Amino acid sequence: MFSNHKFNERSRMGEIIHEDTSLLLTISRFGISLGFGDKTVQEACDANEIHCKTFLAVVNFIAEGNVMVQETYEHISIESVINYLKNAHHYFLSYKLPSIREKLIEAVESSGQSGPYKVVFMKFFDEYFQEVRKHMDYEDKTVFPYVMRLLSGKPDKKYRIAYFEEHHSDVDSKLSELKSIIVRYYPSKGQNYKMNDVLFDLYACEKDLALHNMIEDFFFVPVVEAIEEKSKKA
Amino acid sequence: MNDLNLKIAIAEPSVIVRSGLAVALKRIPGIHAHTFEISSQDFLANYIKLHKPDLLIVNPLYWGSLDMGKLKDETGHLTLRCIALVNGTLDENFLKQYDEKFLLYDNIDQLRLKLNKVFESETITPDEETDSLSVREREILTCVVKGQTNKEIAQSLFLSTHTVITHRRNIARKLGIHSTAGLTIYAIVNKLIELDDIKKDL
Repeated sequence: MFSNHKFNERSRMGEIIHEDTSLLLTISRFGISLGFGDKTVQEACDANEIHCKTFLAVVNFIAEGNVMVQETYEHISIESVINYLKNAHHYFLSYKLPSIREKLIEAVESSGQSGPYKVVFMKFFDEYFQEVRKHMDYEDKTVFPYVMRLLSGKPDKKYRIAYFEEHHSDVDSKLSELKSIIVRYYPSKGQNYKMNDVLFDLYACEKDLALHNMIEDFFFVPVVEAIEEKSKKA
Repeated sequence: MNDLNLKIAIAEPSVIVRSGLAVALKRIPGIHAHTFEISSQDFLANYIKLHKPDLLIVNPLYWGSLDMGKLKDETGHLTLRCIALVNGTLDENFLKQYDEKFLLYDNIDQLRLKLNKVFESETITPDEETDSLSVREREILTCVVKGQTNKEIAQSLFLSTHTVITHRRNIARKLGIHSTAGLTIYAIVNKLIELDDIKKDL
């Protein structure tokens, strides 16, 4: 089979990670664990009962870098995409953001600046965390169930994915603000290993969140739109 | 000086030209380009409507004659700037509806100059831009962080609400901080206020 995408069913899993480390997160969010030896994409997907074409579509979407707005959405399993997005939400809310919070507290405390600094940094971070939680909860509790009902042939009369798309805000810009506050205004003396660590995490998390939003806007939404179109005709 | 952050849609059928331009745009100093490649006409209007890019760079010949005025009307994005991507000879009349044109052999510096010209109003010349806040701006920042509303600040400093809003906008631009929680960090770190001054809001 000829594929005009970077990776196909016969690509090795190791190759994919080698290409772009951010794909490591994608792989684990699909539920494939490490230790896949020399397995090809097809073999790894089969072993983990994962919809291979959907997995490849997401991987290629990320690996090919520049967002390409196009129209080939056949063979995508929307359930798999939703599952993937939900896992990503869980990762951000239950693991990544709490872990950055911990590190931030530690960094502020270790710089001998506890007291007021800790209070204001935590206030900022916790407000941001709530914002992200609200954003992702809405998707988990409203958007995804809507799509599942649509799939089961019981579409809502009022809701449309276009509504979500129009109100979908980015959640990464405030993280970028925190980053720039630390870089530009954090008064520090000498070595700052811990704060640098926090900054690396913030950069990575911001990038990851932006990519996550991009997948929702340019991958998930168009597929749902196509399903809506189809159900209208049926 | 603040960099120019631009969301740019590139509509061009050739993948080599399209992706090549996307890479070239990322090399321009002073500009952060977020590029989106579009290869089909159906997606162009939809994309512009939903994602409101700052700039559309489009091959003017690809989709017959694309009517920019109509496109802006239909997508409700009237402030969209458009640059024609010209890779041959073209009647100048054809290009009137565009803000600027990129030629296939333009170098990075030419692209930079053209972009800065198109977004002139948004770029601030270095000499009038300074990162440090004026005395007035510091006063207002302190009030904002203490939780006062624009109206309250205006009353206590004998200013109009409109002036307060303008100051706030300038503060946000100079510091690159837009949220109150972020400004609070700035104020504490720079010792403009003590934690006790804001305890009740925390």
